[in-house]
Amino acid sequence: MTTSPPVESLATAGIQPFTAEPIRYVGEDGLPVQPLPAAYTPERLRELHAVMLRAREFDRKLITLLRQGRTTFYAQSSGMEATQVGLAHSVRPGHDWVWPYYRDHTLALALGVPMFELISQCLGSNSDPSRGRQMPHHFAARKQNFVSISSSIANQVPPATGTAMAQKYLGTDEITVCTFGDGATSEGDWHAGMNMAGAMAAPCLFVCENNQWAISTNLRGQTASENIHIKAKAYGMPGFYVDGNDIVAVMEVCTHAAGWVRAGNGPALVECLTYRVGSHSNADADAEKNYRTREEVQEWLGRDPVVRVEKLLEHLGHPIESEERAAMIAAVHREVDEQVIRAEATGQPDWRIMFEDVYSDMPAHLREEAAMMRAEQEGGSR
Amino acid sequence: MIATQERQDMPAAEPRTINLITAVTEALHEEMERDSRVVLFGQDVGARGGVFMATAGLQATFGKDRVFDTPLSEASIVGAAVGMAVRGLRPVAEIQFADYMGPGFDQIISQAAKMRYRSGGQYTAPLVIRTPSGGGVKGGHHHSQSPESYYTHTPGLKVVMPSTPYDAKGLLKAAIRGEDPVIFFEPKRLYRASKGEVPGHDYIVRIGEAVIRREGTDLSLIGYGGVMPDLERAADALAAEGVSVEVIDLRSLVPWDKELVVASVQKTGRAVLVSEAPRISNFMGEVAYSIQAAAFDSLLAPVGQVAGFDTPYPYVQDKVYLPGPNRITAACVQALNY
Ligand SMILES: Cc1ncc(C[n+]2csc(CCOP(=O)(O)OP(=O)(O)O)c2C)c(N)n1
Repeated sequence: MTTSPPVESLATAGIQPFTAEPIRYVGEDGLPVQPLPAAYTPERLRELHAVMLRAREFDRKLITLLRQGRTTFYAQSSGMEATQVGLAHSVRPGHDWVWPYYRDHTLALALGVPMFELISQCLGSNSDPSRGRQMPHHFAARKQNFVSISSSIANQVPPATGTAMAQKYLGTDEITVCTFGDGATSEGDWHAGMNMAGAMAAPCLFVCENNQWAISTNLRGQTASENIHIKAKAYGMPGFYVDGNDIVAVMEVCTHAAGWVRAGNGPALVECLTYRVGSHSNADADAEKNYRTREEVQEWLGRDPVVRVEKLLEHLGHPIESEERAAMIAAVHREVDEQVIRAEATGQPDWRIMFEDVYSDMPAHLREEAAMMRAEQEGGSR
Repeated sequence: MIATQERQDMPAAEPRTINLITAVTEALHEEMERDSRVVLFGQDVGARGGVFMATAGLQATFGKDRVFDTPLSEASIVGAAVGMAVRGLRPVAEIQFADYMGPGFDQIISQAAKMRYRSGGQYTAPLVIRTPSGGGVKGGHHHSQSPESYYTHTPGLKVVMPSTPYDAKGLLKAAIRGEDPVIFFEPKRLYRASKGEVPGHDYIVRIGEAVIRREGTDLSLIGYGGVMPDLERAADALAAEGVSVEVIDLRSLVPWDKELVVASVQKTGRAVLVSEAPRISNFMGEVAYSIQAAAFDSLLAPVGQVAGFDTPYPYVQDKVYLPGPNRITAACVQALNY
């Protein structure tokens, strides 16, 4: 396998790697800071807004489910919608491959993974394609080539490189997309996978969803590096820095970076600077009280990616009226409620699934253990 | 696009006597010829042919797209194998020494072993990790350990360790053709020391089946990997004293052939288990448990165990550390005199 051309040779159509400031198209006030590409018509922006709002409300409803004890774990992506929805638009679902991390349900929704599947997985119901074997929020969706998520941080990075190497070997025009948080970039696996991808010129787009906190450790506590994307330099790939709360910027930069990867130039890294507005997960309810300031959270709430698109649409003379917005929200809530009922109605997988899929066929020792379990179940449970 | 297809016909030829490492090379060669999805990589496996020359000549034959060197990173090597397997290739990764699987450990146990299960069968990771293991080559503890029990403890992995050229070739082919991730330990001290016949035609040895190396009626002597020649020596010594020893080579640890082992102990009434890994949490503890659970009534003596010591593998005392014929014979005598 050959190595990639020097990063300096990157032809950049206005989008430069290694910028000091995040690339931005739309400011916090919703006003464009540079001309928007023609594709961003009001209709297009409304579509993007709808996907983002759907994910936002999915978050809100799933937290309710959590409080009701109907699921046991949830990792919000509120505040990160522009990053994940923007990234999704550089992926061809079911063609390119995605090695995601556990906070990526907005990405999954944007790639067309049915909400029913996501909810089924969160509930561990019979309709869960992963058969209730993973903790909630660790999805896998075959149709979208959305690969199964491991809880181990950064664990997906070397395999993503391998999938990209396989794509290159097979001579397909697919690429692999690999996502992770900022904390993940401290793990050995991250460096190992990035380095290998560079050395092998693997067609992999690495995307750091830098939401600035890894549970209670902030970026400064995570690394003395100025930022994340400059680390790409060390691995011989371009690193792009983008305002992760600006859907236009994320789409433009990710599409550009994916294009570079698709063209056979080797891997690229995109760092989306964003913020998780909520807690890390339900296991971390008191984020504000314990480790971050109210001021910081308020400041980032002012950069809300969903609101930014609303301001932009208003500026363009196509505002989303409040009744329309309320109706959209109500529709998502209804949708979640319906899917929850549907998923719960399928019941829970029984004990047999425990012994299946460990191997391609069940070895004798598992048949023995399954028989023991059957006897216990049929003898009446205690 | 490279056509990925399997070739069924293998030209028949006369059986030949080869050593264990040649058997490994032949298995790789034939499987790569048969199936273009098989790719081979690791540190120095390309032009160099691997530290032990197991992949010698394969890059010249199959090209750099199929046999290639990687950066020095076991996490990348194992992780990449997972990603390739998930995407439909049949990766065979080499780790230079089993002692160096540490950096790739999490990729093995969190990704390779769990892929099928955690995705509900939506994704699978049929990969093979080949690695030389065990002592007896004056390698100090970073070139001599027997870490198989770390892997046998992980559901989802198949764990194999041959001791003859026939088994090495047949098991490696089965591992490559199978649908599950396989950790393939190669006892490095037998690479050249173990010679034997392999057929001229294509064959596999099914993973999970043990083999009786010699039949006996007084005691079942059970081992795998690098210790097997010492089991044979101990059995010879005992035969000279009129003791009939049945020697069993497990070959596969997960799954392992409980049926064959239990049947043997039911016949002989005595079992001595031999491996060179440290004793605590040694895989043979599982075998001992299973024997007493399934054949308690047949046992004429407690199950004996000979293992490495619970020390890091020593450099100077290499040969002393390993359970040689003397220690094995003594354990058998103890069981016979119980
Ligand atoms: C190897 C490993 N160590 C520790 C953890 C526990 N853990 C879960 S999430 C997390 C923080 C991850 O932060 P980041 O990568 O920035 O992603 P974020 O959750 O902020 O999106 C930690 C430490 C883990 N899952 N895996």
